[in-house]
Amino acid sequence: MINKTRAAIRLGTALTAAALVAPMMSFVASGSAGATALHGPTNFPRNETLYTSGTAYSPPTNFNPLDGGSRYTGTVGLLYEPLFLYNPISNKYIPWLATSGNWSGSTYTLHVRNGVKWSNGTPLTGADVAFTIGLAKTNPAVGYSSLGPFINSISASGNTVTVNFKSPPPYTDWQDFLWQNAVLPKAVFSKLSASEQVTSANYTRGKSPMATGPMLLVSTSQTQACYEDNPNWWGIKQLGLKFHFKYLCDIVNGSNSVELSALLSNNIDWSNNFLPGINTLMTTGGDSSFLTTYYPKSPYMLSANTVWLEMNTTKAPFSNVNFRKAVAYGINTQSIVSGVYDGIVKAANPTGLLPNLGSYINKSVVSKYGFHYDPSLAKKYLAKSGYKGQTLTIEVPDGWTDWMAADDIIAQDLNSIGIKVNAITPSANERTQHMISGNFDMVLDNNAQADATPWSYFDRVYQLPIPKSNGAQLNVERFSDPATWALVQKAATTPTTDKTALDGIYSQIETSFLQKLPEVPLWYNGAWFQGNTTYWKNYPSSTNPSLQYTPVMWGNWLGAMTTVYALANLRPAK
Amino acid sequence: MTRYFARKIGLYILAFWAGVTIDWAIPRLMPGNPIEAYLARFSLNSQGSWTALYKLFSKAFGYNLPLWDQYWHYWDNLFHGNLGISIYAFPEKVTTMVAQAAPYTLALLVPAIVLSYVLGNRIGAIAARRKILDNTVLPLGYLFQAMPYAWLALAAAFYLAQLERWFPVQGGSAVGIASGFTWAYIWGLVSHWFLPFLTVFLVSFGGWSIGMRNLVIYELETDYARYLRALGARSRLVRRYAYRNAVLPQLSGLALALGTVIGGNIVTEVVFQYPGLGHLIYIAATDQDYSLLQGIFIFIIAGVLVANFLIDIVYIVIDPRTRLSMQGAVA
Amino acid sequence: MSDVDQAATSSAPVAPGAPLTGVRAPGAAPVGGAPLGRKAYSGGRRWEFLYFAVRNKKLVLGLGVEIIFVLAAIIGPYFAPYPPKQFVAPAFLHPSAKHLFGTSYFGQDVFSLLLYSLRNSYLVGFLGAAFAGVIGLGIGFIAGWRGGWLDEILQTFTYIVVMIPSLVLLIVIGAYLKSHSAFFEGVFIGVTTWPWVARAVRAQTFTLRQRDFVDLARLSGKRGPAIVLKDIAPNMASYILLAFILLFGSSMLIAVNYDFLGLGPTSGISLGDMLNLAELWSGLQLHLWWWFIPPGAAMTIMVAALLVANVGLDEVFNPKLRET
Repeated sequence: MINKTRAAIRLGTALTAAALVAPMMSFVASGSAGATALHGPTNFPRNETLYTSGTAYSPPTNFNPLDGGSRYTGTVGLLYEPLFLYNPISNKYIPWLATSGNWSGSTYTLHVRNGVKWSNGTPLTGADVAFTIGLAKTNPAVGYSSLGPFINSISASGNTVTVNFKSPPPYTDWQDFLWQNAVLPKAVFSKLSASEQVTSANYTRGKSPMATGPMLLVSTSQTQACYEDNPNWWGIKQLGLKFHFKYLCDIVNGSNSVELSALLSNNIDWSNNFLPGINTLMTTGGDSSFLTTYYPKSPYMLSANTVWLEMNTTKAPFSNVNFRKAVAYGINTQSIVSGVYDGIVKAANPTGLLPNLGSYINKSVVSKYGFHYDPSLAKKYLAKSGYKGQTLTIEVPDGWTDWMAADDIIAQDLNSIGIKVNAITPSANERTQHMISGNFDMVLDNNAQADATPWSYFDRVYQLPIPKSNGAQLNVERFSDPATWALVQKAATTPTTDKTALDGIYSQIETSFLQKLPEVPLWYNGAWFQGNTTYWKNYPSSTNPSLQYTPVMWGNWLGAMTTVYALANLRPAK
Repeated sequence: MTRYFARKIGLYILAFWAGVTIDWAIPRLMPGNPIEAYLARFSLNSQGSWTALYKLFSKAFGYNLPLWDQYWHYWDNLFHGNLGISIYAFPEKVTTMVAQAAPYTLALLVPAIVLSYVLGNRIGAIAARRKILDNTVLPLGYLFQAMPYAWLALAAAFYLAQLERWFPVQGGSAVGIASGFTWAYIWGLVSHWFLPFLTVFLVSFGGWSIGMRNLVIYELETDYARYLRALGARSRLVRRYAYRNAVLPQLSGLALALGTVIGGNIVTEVVFQYPGLGHLIYIAATDQDYSLLQGIFIFIIAGVLVANFLIDIVYIVIDPRTRLSMQGAVA
Repeated sequence: MSDVDQAATSSAPVAPGAPLTGVRAPGAAPVGGAPLGRKAYSGGRRWEFLYFAVRNKKLVLGLGVEIIFVLAAIIGPYFAPYPPKQFVAPAFLHPSAKHLFGTSYFGQDVFSLLLYSLRNSYLVGFLGAAFAGVIGLGIGFIAGWRGGWLDEILQTFTYIVVMIPSLVLLIVIGAYLKSHSAFFEGVFIGVTTWPWVARAVRAQTFTLRQRDFVDLARLSGKRGPAIVLKDIAPNMASYILLAFILLFGSSMLIAVNYDFLGLGPTSGISLGDMLNLAELWSGLQLHLWWWFIPPGAAMTIMVAALLVANVGLDEVFNPKLRET
C-alpha cells in the first residue's frame, strides 16, 4: 500500500514536471507558428523606429483600402494614396496623386501625377484612376458607389482622366471622393470579383501589397504591423519629403491604461489613444516632461468629430420641438468637458460644425438662435412640451467609459429639470441595432466624421427618405423636414467654388437646424494625440507654423489629411 | 474498468455536446446583429453601399442559411477544424487566433494550477502539525484565498511593476524584439509571464494549503488514527495515512475548482494585458465577435474535459476503493 | 449512480468551487449525538454550541470583523461624507482628513464610494449563497434520496454545469437584459455555483438514508419529502450553515470578477466596479493607489473574516477539532 502511495507520488511529480515543461515547449513551437513572430527584418532598432498606436483595434490581417471596417492603419496613407489631401487646419486641398483637376460644365478633368510608380516598378497611369472611379458604377459595395448613378462616362488617355457627369453634377460628393478614397492598382483589383474586391484581405504574409505610398509593409504579428521606408517613393523627388525614421511600427491598441503605460515607458512615440489624465500629466510636468500635444494648453487636442444627442423624433415627447429645446438648454456640457474629459475636449458650437468649418458658420444666426446651458429656460420649454412625466432612456454603448460617465451627468442634469431619464448601456451591437431600427428614446452618437464641407454633416442629419432599416445611419433621429433636405441637396449640387451661394444655403440650413434642433450637438471628440520626445522630436504643434499638421494616424487622417507631412517633419531627438 | 471509462466518456461527450450547442446558439440568441455592427465601423455615406455590403458579409459569415442548416454546418465545420472567421480581425481564421493565444494561457494556467496544488497540499499538511507554521501559513493562506484576482493583480502590477519597475507592467513579450531562440526574447517572455503567474498561483495556493491543513487535522482526529496511535504506530505512519485520505477530497475539489481558476485567469490576463485566451475572450466579448467567442469557448470546454479526465485517472491511481470497485470487488 | 462515484464522494468532504476550500462534510459526528466536550460542561446541546462559540477565538474574531463591515454596509451610506457618484471635489486628491481615501479621477470621494459599494457586495454575496444553497440542497436531497435514474440525470446535469464556463454564459445572458441589476448578478452566481453543494449533500443523504432513524421514520408512515426535511436535513444543519458561509464568500469574490470585467450591475456601484473604473481610467499609471487599493483590501478582509469564522464554527460544531 505504501508502495502504491510512492507510485502515486512519483506519478504526481512526473505530471508536475510535464505540466511545467509542456507550456514552455508550446511557446517555442508557437514562436515558429507566428504567435508573436515578426516576419522580415529580425529587429527594429529603437532609434530608427517610430512606434505609433491608438488607431488599430484588431490585429493587422487586412490591407484592403476598400474594406473600411478592417483595413489596418497605414493601408491608406503609407501604402495607398488618394488623388488629393485635405488640410483641415488651413481648410485647403493639396494635390497628391493628381496634380490638378477642374470642372468644365458637367465634365471633370483630372491630371494624374507623372513619375509615380507602383511598388513593383510599373508606372501609375490614368487607367488605374479611371478603374478606381469606375468601381462606383460596377460595384455597389464600395463606399463611394453613391456617385455611380451620376456618372455618364469615364475615359483615360495617358495621365489625363475625364469624367462626364449627369447634370447637375454632385459637386460636393465628388470633391469628397477626390481626397477620401485611395487609387487602386488596376492590375490587382480588376482580377477580383466584385465581392472579393471588398472582402479580400489584399495581403499575403511577407509580401507588401502593390501600392504607391511612402512605405512598404515588412512584417505583421498579432500585436503590430511594421513598415519600412520606400526608397522609390515619388514624394522624395517631387516634394522633397523624406522620413527620417527607417521603420514605423503601429501597435494594436490595448486598453487606455496599457497605452498610457507604454507611452510613459517610452515604448510608444506617437499615441492616438484617448488617455485619461493627460491634462494632469502635462500640467504637473516633472516625470512626464517628455510628453507633447498639439496645443500646449487645454484643450491640448484638435477637434475630430461632434458628439450628438440624438432623439427619436418620430414619437412623443421628442417630436415636440419645445421638448428638444428643454433638453438642449438643460444639459451642462461644461461639466462633462471638465469632469469627464479633464479639459481635453471642447464644448461644441450649437450647430455642431467642427472648427475647421468655421467659415461656414453664420455667427449672427448662431447668436440669435443658438442654445446654451440654462436650466430655468429649460424648465420653461419643458412646461410647453407636452411631456407627461414618462421615464425615458438614454443609451451609450457598454464599455465606452468616457461616454458612460458623460451619460450619467446628462441623466442627472435632465432629471434635475424634471425630465425622468435613465442612463442605460446596452452592448454596442444592440445600440447599433436600435439606431438602425429606430427603436430607441435617446442615444449619444458621433457618426459624422470630419469633412471638408458641412455637406456630409447635414446629409447625415436630414437625409430623406428614411429607410425602415437605416443601416448607413443617415438621419438616425428620423427627422422629416423636406424643406431643409431640399436645401442640403441644393448645397450638394452647387459648385464648391461658389462660396457665396454655399454660404447663403448653409446659413438657411443652420437657421432651421437651430430653430428645430433635430439633434443636440454637445462636445467635440478630440483628435487625441500625445507624443513622446525621448526618441523623436518636431511633433505636430500649434505653436510652430511649420509643424501645423494633423497629428493623427486614424484612417482618413493619415490617409488623406496632412499626417504624412507631420511624419516627414519628425527628426531623431539625439 | 471498461464500464467505468465508458460511463465517464459518455458523460464527457454529453457535456461537450451541451457546451457546443450552447456555444452555437450564442450569436443566434444575442440581440443585435454582428454584421450590422461590423458595418457600423465603415461609417458609410450611402444606404446603397450598406445594403450591398450587408449581403456580401452575410454570405461570408454563413448567416444566410436556415437555422438547422447552420447547426448542422457548425458541427461539420467543427470536425474539420474550422471554427469560422473572426469579425474583429476580419478575415483571420478563429482557429489561427486561438492557436496563437493558447500557449500563453497554458503557460500561465498549467504551472499555476499544478504548482499551487502540489505545494499548497504539502505546506498545508506540514502546517497541520507545526504550530509555528500553522500560525504563519494559516493567516496568509486565508488572506490569499480571500483576495479578488483583479485586486491582487492590480496591486502586484502597481507595486512590483509600476513603482519598483522589477517587471514589465503589461503585455506578453518584449516590444521590438523578434521571436526566436534568443536570450533577449525568452527573457522577455519570462519577465512578462511572472506577475500574472504569481497572481493565479497565490490565490489558489492559499486555498489548497488551508484546505489541506484542515483536512489533515480532521483526519488525525478520526477513530482510525487514534486507533493506530493506540497500537503504538509511529506518528510518521499515522500522518502518512491521514495525508493520503486528505488528498482524495482535495483532488475532487481540484476538478470543481477549474472553472473558478479559469475565471480568475481571465481577469488576471485582462489586468496584465497578457495575450492569452482570457484576454482574447475579453476582447471577443467587448467587440462582440461571436465567432471568436465560440472558438475560445470550445477550446476551454475541451481543456476542462481533458483536465477532468486526467484528474479521474490520478484518482483511480490513488484511491484503492475506486480501483477495487473497478475490479468488481465492491460492486 | 455507479458505486464508483459513490465511493469517490461518500467519504469525501467536498471542496467547494475552490479556491475556497475548507468545509469538511459533517461525517457521522453530529448525527450519532456528539460526545460532549472534554471540558466540564453540563447543559443542552444547543447551549453547548454557544458555550464553545463564545470561547472560540477564530469565530469571535471573524464574526466580529464581519459584523463591523456589515454595519458599515447598512448604516454607512447615511454617514457617508459625500454623495458617492457625484464629482464633489478636485480630481486626484491624496487621502486627507477631508477625503479619507482621496478622490478619484473624476473627483469622487473614494471613501463614500466604498461605503456605498459594501451594500451591493453583501447583497450579491447573500443572493448568490441563497440561490446556490437552495438549488444545491434541492438537487442534492432529491438525487440522494430518490437514487436511480433521477439521480443519474441530476448527476449528469450537475456535471454539465461544472463543465461550462460561467463567465461566457454570463456574457450571453447579460446581453439579453437591457440592464442588469445586483439581483440578477446574485441569482446568476447562485445558479452557476451550486454543483459542489449538490454533490456533497447528495453523498450525505445517501449515507444518512440508510440509518436506523430514517428507517424508523419510514416505518412510521412519513412521506419522503417529510423525512428529508424533518429527519435528514437537521442532521446536516451544521454542514449547511458552513457551506452557506463559504458560498457567501465565494459569491462576493466571483461578483468582483464580473464587475471588474464590466459585466456587473449597470447602474449600481460595487467594489469590483471601483476596481474596474480605476483600471480603465489609468489609476495605475496615474498612481491613484487610493482608488483601487481600499476596495480590494475591504473585500479581502470581508472574505477572510468569513473564512476564519467558518473554521471557528467548524470547531464549535465538531468536538474533535476543538483545541484542548
